[in-house]
Amino acid sequence: MASRFWTQGGDSDTEEEEQENSEYEDGSDAEQPAGDNAGATARSRYLRDQASDSDDSDGQHRVIKSARDKRFDEMASTVDQMKNAMKINDWVSLQESFEKINKQLEKVVRVTESVKVPNLYIKALVMLEDFLAQALANKDAKKKMSSSNAKALNSMKQKLKKNNKQYEELIAKYREKPESEDEGAEDEDEDEDEESEAEEDPSKIVMSDEENDDEDDEDEDDRDEEGGGAWQRKTSKKDKLMDKQFMKDPSEITWDIVNKKLKEIVAARGKKGTGRVEQVEQLTFLTRVAKTPAQKLEILFSAISSQFDINPSLLGHMPINVWKKCVGNMLLVLDILEQYPNIVVDDMVEPEENETQKGADYNGTVRVWGNLVAFLERLDSEFFKSLQCIDPYTREYVERLRDEPLFFVIAQNVQDYLERIGDFKAASKVALRRLELVYYKPQEVYDAMRNLAEQTGTEEGLEDGDESEEKQSIEENRGPPVFISIPELVPRKPTFPESSRTLVDALVSHIYSYGDERTKARAMLCDIYHHAIFDEFSIARDLLLMSHLQDGIQLMDISSQILFNRVMAQLGLCAFRAGLIQEAHGCLFELYQGGRVKELLAQGFSQNRYHEKTPEQEKAERRRQMPYHMHINLELLEATHLISAMLLEVPNMAAAAYDPKRKPISKTFRRLLEVNERHTFVGPPENVRDHVMAATRALSKGDCHKAFGVISSLDIWKLLRNRESVLEMVKSKIKEEALRTYLFAYSSCYDTLSLEQLTSMFDLSKAHVHSIVSKMMVMEELQASWDQPTKCIVFHNLEQTRLQSLLFQMADKLIILAENNERAFEARTGGGIEGLPPKRREGMDYATSGASNRWQDNYVSGASQGRQGGGYGGRLGYGGRTGGSAQAGGGFQRDHSGHGSRGAGGYYGGTGRTSYHASALRGAQVEGSAGMVNLSRAGRI
Amino acid sequence: MANHDLTSRIAPQLDRHLVFPLLEFLQERELYPNDEILKAKIQLLSHTNMVDYAMDIHKALYHTEDVPQAMVDRRVEVVSRLKSLEESAAPLISFLQDANLVQELRPDRQYNIQMLHDRFQIGADQIEALYQYAKFQFECGNYSGAADYLYQYRALCTNSERSLSALWGKLAAEILMQNWDVALEELNRLKEIIDSKSFSSPLNQLQNRIWLMHWSLFIFFNHENGRNSIIDLFFQDRSTYRFFSHLVRYLNAIQTNAHHLLRYLATAVIVNKRRRNMLKELVKVIQQEQHCYKDPITELLESLYVNYDFDEAQKKLKECEQVILNDPFLGKRVGDSNFATVPLRDEFLENTRLFIFETYCRIHRCIDISVLAEKLNLNMTYDESLAWITNLIRNSKLEAKIDAALGTVTMPVVHQNVHEQIIESMKNLNTRTYLLAKNIVEPAQVAQASR
Repeated sequence: MASRFWTQGGDSDTEEEEQENSEYEDGSDAEQPAGDNAGATARSRYLRDQASDSDDSDGQHRVIKSARDKRFDEMASTVDQMKNAMKINDWVSLQESFEKINKQLEKVVRVTESVKVPNLYIKALVMLEDFLAQALANKDAKKKMSSSNAKALNSMKQKLKKNNKQYEELIAKYREKPESEDEGAEDEDEDEDEESEAEEDPSKIVMSDEENDDEDDEDEDDRDEEGGGAWQRKTSKKDKLMDKQFMKDPSEITWDIVNKKLKEIVAARGKKGTGRVEQVEQLTFLTRVAKTPAQKLEILFSAISSQFDINPSLLGHMPINVWKKCVGNMLLVLDILEQYPNIVVDDMVEPEENETQKGADYNGTVRVWGNLVAFLERLDSEFFKSLQCIDPYTREYVERLRDEPLFFVIAQNVQDYLERIGDFKAASKVALRRLELVYYKPQEVYDAMRNLAEQTGTEEGLEDGDESEEKQSIEENRGPPVFISIPELVPRKPTFPESSRTLVDALVSHIYSYGDERTKARAMLCDIYHHAIFDEFSIARDLLLMSHLQDGIQLMDISSQILFNRVMAQLGLCAFRAGLIQEAHGCLFELYQGGRVKELLAQGFSQNRYHEKTPEQEKAERRRQMPYHMHINLELLEATHLISAMLLEVPNMAAAAYDPKRKPISKTFRRLLEVNERHTFVGPPENVRDHVMAATRALSKGDCHKAFGVISSLDIWKLLRNRESVLEMVKSKIKEEALRTYLFAYSSCYDTLSLEQLTSMFDLSKAHVHSIVSKMMVMEELQASWDQPTKCIVFHNLEQTRLQSLLFQMADKLIILAENNERAFEARTGGGIEGLPPKRREGMDYATSGASNRWQDNYVSGASQGRQGGGYGGRLGYGGRTGGSAQAGGGFQRDHSGHGSRGAGGYYGGTGRTSYHASALRGAQVEGSAGMVNLSRAGRI
Repeated sequence: MANHDLTSRIAPQLDRHLVFPLLEFLQERELYPNDEILKAKIQLLSHTNMVDYAMDIHKALYHTEDVPQAMVDRRVEVVSRLKSLEESAAPLISFLQDANLVQELRPDRQYNIQMLHDRFQIGADQIEALYQYAKFQFECGNYSGAADYLYQYRALCTNSERSLSALWGKLAAEILMQNWDVALEELNRLKEIIDSKSFSSPLNQLQNRIWLMHWSLFIFFNHENGRNSIIDLFFQDRSTYRFFSHLVRYLNAIQTNAHHLLRYLATAVIVNKRRRNMLKELVKVIQQEQHCYKDPITELLESLYVNYDFDEAQKKLKECEQVILNDPFLGKRVGDSNFATVPLRDEFLENTRLFIFETYCRIHRCIDISVLAEKLNLNMTYDESLAWITNLIRNSKLEAKIDAALGTVTMPVVHQNVHEQIIESMKNLNTRTYLLAKNIVEPAQVAQASR
């Protein structure tokens, strides 16, 4: 045994067993390693062999003890102390020891990082309990006790009672089994569990095989053999279990036997010592001997749910082959339901005990407990999880993706079935699942999927079928023939309409009419996303605005929020492709505000310097990740965002030089630009950001050709379908903005500027330049006017003296002061002052609503999400549809300004209203022209 | 010419009977082949009880004296049903025709019903029959009778749903009788009900609003009281601050499901001088909906206020003229048979010209008069346009000077005085501070006094 460490390669099977046993026989401390020996190795015993099995050796052969062992020793010594105390009936020291052992327990648990309580402790508890009962029973002795001792006894009684409650089960179990031979019995139990767990993960075995292929041949052989052995053993065990009962003459098998067996298996579910894989196999076997279709269905349901049980952890995914088998089972279920329409699947009512006894020829309805939708949803999420876990750059990922049609078949069939039985609500849930598989696919990808489903779909199905058939045939050889044979009724191939739009439309309209709130909202988001992919910006936008989703999205679950973010990103891309720069920026800037775009789109993790995430948060985030094939290209997104920000911000910055009141449009962009400008040397652009910054430099000088050159050299453009037209659009936009920037920046240098010159400078048509310049004049961005006969722009430069500009500043400050006073008054009294300008009041409402939005931002630490809804609506001026108070207030204000300007003179009577009109006047002044030409005067008089 | 015709889009939102005037108009304009319109009329009539009229049209269409048997049968059926309804509603009608008895009715509905029941043995059945009878009368084309009966029915009816449909019926009848004043009253009543009523679904309410807007087109573009004030009302409904919530609601309805109404909204805004401030908002809406709805009128506004493309605007103006002439609501004729004018068109053209001119002047310092005349689509000689502009200047609508030697108009560049600007911005500070002080001091004084 001493050489085990070195000679593990050549161990035979029996020795292996022995070793395991011996390990447990090491005593109380050696029992623990099995549980704690850290996930990876302990998970699979086979792996552990070839890894260094330090736990085997230490404790037994080495003097050096691990911390764990020390703890166990301490515990053991405490138990000894307790034993001594019992002997002399010293309850005071017993109480001390008890407290000590409890503390030690904590340590042990911490060291071993397991949840399981060591047997030693349980043993001590049992011992104490017994002794306590004994002491209590002996009343005479109790009377004789010293007062301190009696006191200790009483408190011990209470403490023990309380304490033991936590471990009730373990104690009971311990009591059940004889205490002899250390933890022998327990060990076996443990052992079995361990073993089955190891086997449960067949994929892992295979994986480890591959890993070590060339590493150690001998070793591998050994393990293979071993693995095979285990499998064989298992099957033989199972045969023993099952065939004893069922290998008899098929006619002897009755419904009762099967039912009893089913109950037995189901009862064992989740218990210790039941192998999960084994259970599935047992159930699969049972399905074949089921006497009635209903029973078969019942067993199938159990089989499916135990298949789901195979992977207990939230993070990992179901092994793919199990998933496929599960799909097969689901199809079988659907077949049965198709053939026997009188069987009703229900999870609301507990069916009668012998409901499933009713045979195939029974006419009435047979109720079977089960929930198809839940199964389907679970299948979907397992599929999703597996895609999350698999490395997207491997072949495995692609293989896995090819299983998508498989899921689609079931979903389609389940939906059909549910619609047939009239359960539209459930059907809408299924429809949503289908929709979520399709919505993000552009037509090309959709076509590919359709082809795959049509061509290889059958093959795949066959392949899959082969697998199961093979198994079945093996089993068939052994077991009795299937009693209830079900022909394949439901289609095994998904059908896809020609265009994904029709599919999405069909699904969506079904969901809209039957789904619940969440389903509808998600379907709406998917619909919008799909429209956005297909370059239908206006439809997508209208849908988004009409659904009022932005208002309520913060209150929805995180995955819907992620979906919403994805929709916004896609909408932004779509707007950009359509040349709607402002809209694109409106959609995207919030995503980029906090620098956490990856996190918001669930496409990776973003580091936050100031906020460490707890492991739970990280885990939760990992679970939310989008599978790779659903990702939105982040580079493209960033480029879109930055370019649109550039197009808006550069002229704005140029204008801001003259008008300090202008606010930056995109703070993110400004910050980037500042960082970039701080560089002493500017190298050639490398990433997207550098490119845009370089373009920005050129653009701010009005050099549109260079700016476009830099932008067009980005490689992300090749990702776009209509690359030429988009680039063309970008080019013309850049020209326009260059023109505007140039005029802003250099208007003070000119007295006049001819149209010809501008057209040649910016390579734009005359009409275009005229339109842009006219617009700037009307918006009063440019203090100039046309001279029509000569086609020149004449600039009127207004220079303010220093005194004047100071005066303006003072006026602004005074206004702010007055406003602050009013606000303070309002805050104090709660009520507003009568006749305050309504705009401000409304603004405050806005602010508070923004604040109240903020709390729900729990899923992301920052607050950028918070105002997405309102901000979007207001900023883009979609108010008309977003409805709500913002727009209403706007209308209000505007109307008053008009009113005021019309009747300003006459209305100054009442003090209450004066400020009203005065403010309105101010509004009018801002809005209207500074009195250039106003023809509406006639209307006033 | 028919490509901007909205009849097909408007008709589904109207009552059958309300479509008739539209078809009449189309027939008059000769946009479509006469036969098609006649066929459409027969189709329209087939679900009404105006069988005689349908027969006439049939004869006119096929130039025969024969009438299909189906029509004859239907006529018999209609007449018999009319009889039976008349009988069942007779007691109530006879009661209502007696002015003295009607005097006894009080505003309290419950009381009325009770009284009718006690003294005249008129129960719910008779009241229901009155409704049916009124409806039948309406379908027969006897609008005035239907309007009367419906009015009385509403006084007796307790069912709010019924009451609402009676109101719709009354509105339709009044519109068809061209009693615009009454119709306007009914319209307002209906609007209040729709806005205040809680509908089973928002969709339902939206549909009601859309109907209301479509029906109101008849009234708004036809009110005898002078179109100007009516258009004002049309907007008041949507825009004044007291109704600002309706602005959102009705504009919403337009944007969701009735984009074509933008034409009427746009026309109304353009024609109405006193609603200039709506223009900005309207342009915004038009821009937003340009992917759904476009016609020369909206395009005109767009080219004028979004793109500042005056050549385009000028082109659109020409098209607009045709559109207005061919629109049943806008192209209403006034005048005697041989000299008909479309007042709305004239006003529209006048106002649009003013718009163009105003905008044009706003961004120019110096304009050639002949170019201006061309841009405005005036078809005038140089002298005429000179006169036009002079007129504008004289009426102090335009601050400009004419340079006759060069043939240009020169706009003076007016800068607002810096002092003015500052005074302007500080103007209200005084009152605001005063108000604040007052608000603070007053409660304190009250508190002191009470102490």
